[in-house]
Amino acid sequence: MIKKARVNQLKSFFKKPHNVILVVLVVVLGYLTLIPLITIVVDTFTVHSSEVRAIKLPMGSFTLYHWNKIFASGMTSQKTFYEPFVNTMVVAFLSCVLAILIGGLFAWMVTRTNIRAKSFISTVFMFPYIMPSWTLAMAWLNFFKNSRVGGAPGFFTALTGLETANWFAYGLFPIVMVQGIHYAPFAYILIGGILQNMDANLEEAAMLLHANRLTIMKKVTLPIVRPALLSTFLLVFSSTMSAFAVPAFLGSPVRYQVLTTQMYRTLNGMNPGYGYIIALVMIVIGVAILMLNQWVTGRRKSYVTITGKSSNISLVNLRKARTPLTVLLVVILLMVAILPLVSFAIESFIMAPGDYSLANFTTEFWVGQGSPEIANSEPGILRNPSIWLGLTNSLKLSLIVSAFAGTIGLLSGYAVAKKRGSKLSTIVNNLTFFPYLIPSMAFGAIFLSMFAVRRGFIPALYGSFWLLVIVGTVKYLPFATRSSVNAMLQLSGEIEEAGTIMGVGWIKRMTRIIFPIQRSTFISGYLLPFISCMRELSLFILLVTPSTRILTTLLFQYNEKGWNQYANAINLMIVVIVVGFNLLINKLTGASIDKGIGSN
Amino acid sequence: MPRIELKHVTKMFGKFVAVDDLNMIIDDRSFVTLLGPSGCGKTTTLRMIAGLETPTEGTITINDRVVFSSEEGIDVPPDKRDVGFLFQNYALWPHMTVYKNISFGLENLKWPKDRIADRVEELLEMLKITEFSARYPSELSGGQQQRVAIARTLSTGPKALFMDEPLSNLDAKLRMEMRTELKRLHRETDSTFVYVTHDQLEAMTLSTMVCLMKEGYTQQYAPPLEVYRKPANTFAADFVGSPNINLIEAEVETATPLVLKFGTASRLKFTANAPLALKEGKQVTLGIRPEHITIVEEGATIEAEIQSSLPSGMETIVALDLDGIRLHSVIFGDLDFEVGKLVGLTFKGAGINLFDREDGRLIAQGTLTKA
Repeated sequence: MIKKARVNQLKSFFKKPHNVILVVLVVVLGYLTLIPLITIVVDTFTVHSSEVRAIKLPMGSFTLYHWNKIFASGMTSQKTFYEPFVNTMVVAFLSCVLAILIGGLFAWMVTRTNIRAKSFISTVFMFPYIMPSWTLAMAWLNFFKNSRVGGAPGFFTALTGLETANWFAYGLFPIVMVQGIHYAPFAYILIGGILQNMDANLEEAAMLLHANRLTIMKKVTLPIVRPALLSTFLLVFSSTMSAFAVPAFLGSPVRYQVLTTQMYRTLNGMNPGYGYIIALVMIVIGVAILMLNQWVTGRRKSYVTITGKSSNISLVNLRKARTPLTVLLVVILLMVAILPLVSFAIESFIMAPGDYSLANFTTEFWVGQGSPEIANSEPGILRNPSIWLGLTNSLKLSLIVSAFAGTIGLLSGYAVAKKRGSKLSTIVNNLTFFPYLIPSMAFGAIFLSMFAVRRGFIPALYGSFWLLVIVGTVKYLPFATRSSVNAMLQLSGEIEEAGTIMGVGWIKRMTRIIFPIQRSTFISGYLLPFISCMRELSLFILLVTPSTRILTTLLFQYNEKGWNQYANAINLMIVVIVVGFNLLINKLTGASIDKGIGSN
Repeated sequence: MPRIELKHVTKMFGKFVAVDDLNMIIDDRSFVTLLGPSGCGKTTTLRMIAGLETPTEGTITINDRVVFSSEEGIDVPPDKRDVGFLFQNYALWPHMTVYKNISFGLENLKWPKDRIADRVEELLEMLKITEFSARYPSELSGGQQQRVAIARTLSTGPKALFMDEPLSNLDAKLRMEMRTELKRLHRETDSTFVYVTHDQLEAMTLSTMVCLMKEGYTQQYAPPLEVYRKPANTFAADFVGSPNINLIEAEVETATPLVLKFGTASRLKFTANAPLALKEGKQVTLGIRPEHITIVEEGATIEAEIQSSLPSGMETIVALDLDGIRLHSVIFGDLDFEVGKLVGLTFKGAGINLFDREDGRLIAQGTLTKA
């Protein structure tokens, strides 16, 4: 009898679609996120094939060599770990502060003042974030590189004749500037959301009680948004910390190393064990940040102030400053969002780098046949088969990943929200968020080591396109899950139950009731993975092979070889595709990354 | 003293006219309600007087001082208008204790510490929330939060107090209690109250003047009982009173005596209180309050069939079918009526309203008798 009851219990458990989804996700995600973590740990204690001679132990045997070298070997540790570690922290902290200052200022301007051209500002302000992170880095180089390190000088030197200083062109300063601007939209979205949802009555009440603007800011607005602000800071911090491309472009010329660039060097070189340890360190920091974040947002004093949209936000009247400030913001935006594109276009038409006279312009790099004097007879972009392959691969990969990540994210968000509070749901929620914490490059490295050989029924996937798909899907799942959970939590359970009672099947409930209601939120769950995938470099850089190359890795290769024109042209191509796609989706469905901010 | 005057005040949101050419005088120490369905511009009006919203056009004077004038370009900021504002959702600062919430305004005015403590103590006592002074707003019930919000608003002793639907978030019992409380406060604080609500009962019971609004226009500005007894138009008649007034569409059959024809073939004679001349064929609307319809055994003016009877003890609401027109009547006393029965009706008093059906305006009041 008891056994039969058990079986029936199980049956009714699995009759509910959200339970099935949760169980499947626990198994699959457990395999794809926890196993890799274990693999990483094991790898740090194992002798790798390239190290057999240095360690003098057979491949695969246990060793403490890597840990010793990284943490306790004087100069070696200093150079390979401690210095990059400090650099990483400094870079992440400063970029984060800059991002929050810029993003916060723009968010405040757009949500709380009567500045003009709000929707334009809001849309264009997203560009730096939508564009690949190295876009601005390349633009910075196009403008400010100097001949001392970078070969040909940039626009600035060409126009003014002044040689830019090394600190200004390379290393900490430009990395912070570029990452600050790149992540500013991220801060803008988060802070803008808080400001828009914060009840304006709270500020008005203070104003009526004779508080001046400064007092209101200090005593009311800031304390109320502080927990959310802190959480924004932590999220941006973990993103800047794991950024690879920008330090690689701007730091390498002066040997300014951070953890990610160090990881790339070691994983790609002789000592993968070092790389795995660095990856572990970054994961630990990531987890610590997440826990700190949960503590910050979960305390007694982290009040819920978001009482829904306040209908009567009274905007700060900028009076005479209104038009000048609008112009200023628009000019800044054009400088960071549009000017880089112009620079790519120009650079891609220039024959000899650094010479901007009209005679030096050529279409060789776009449509040329390829000649032996230039870049090893590499044909122009538009007739270059390997670039076409990269483009189709990139598009194919992004579309498939976005379809997978979006759909799985949607389902997991649905199931998590449905069973909110249960153990299973918490586990899945954390599992889907976990990939967010692992730095992209480390994630790529793990999958490389995991799928290099056949394990059980899972074939060796290295070199296959589907490995890229799996990595992308798992890595971008958090975006889709977040937006799906948010969408589901806004929806009361009765809405679905009303359908259930009328005998509407689950698939129909999902496609005809739930999806249409929160359409734009769900669609952004598809949009984000697509865009991220299209511009991703560090996640795939260790995994691609010549037949699976994608645009971003091609760009990186051209850049390393110093074939600037090709890199610029490819970058222009990526940006146009990503921005164009975003605008298209926005027009068609109303979904967009900056959803809702500045629309009032 | 704070007499508030609005002259030709208009507010546009883009092309949408929220308030249109509003003129109003709010007397010192009065309790004025802005009443109307949602979206009629009442909250906007209140926020414009407080200075939280800028009118598109017009002049606002508080206490003989012009605080806003579109022509002269005057716009005094809210904190310089000496007004208090009670928000619908209270807007208590979640990161401050009850005490801090109340003392905040006084600190901004740079009051000395001991005087602040005295004043806060006084307010806590007045609103009976002394024991909560160390708590955070999230640890209070709705009614307690409401009291804290009132104490905070009163702290700086504003001469005019504006309230935006302050009771709408409370349950029925608390609402009753707070109504009494607000009336007491109005008397004790000796200030002018302007109150926004969509609840006609609240407006009727609390205020000394009601400003009834619809789609940005003032419909009637009068003491509550006058709005009830002598509604300016069919909207005012219909909005105030529960159960609703009976509105019967009719046509003038003969002018003298004034006989009204309605339904398929029913007639009644209307005798106006003041001389009145109407053309034959004129389309009108009769407005009869439910308590003015009585059911009688004999001497009936007209007959109707009982459709339903809802006795509640003190009174019974009866739905009647009069020649295809549904009427409601309120009969006082613990009576019940048999559904489907034919009964005789009479119309009590000289307060029967006659409206012009074209523009809805009140033409006359008078008595209704047998034609």
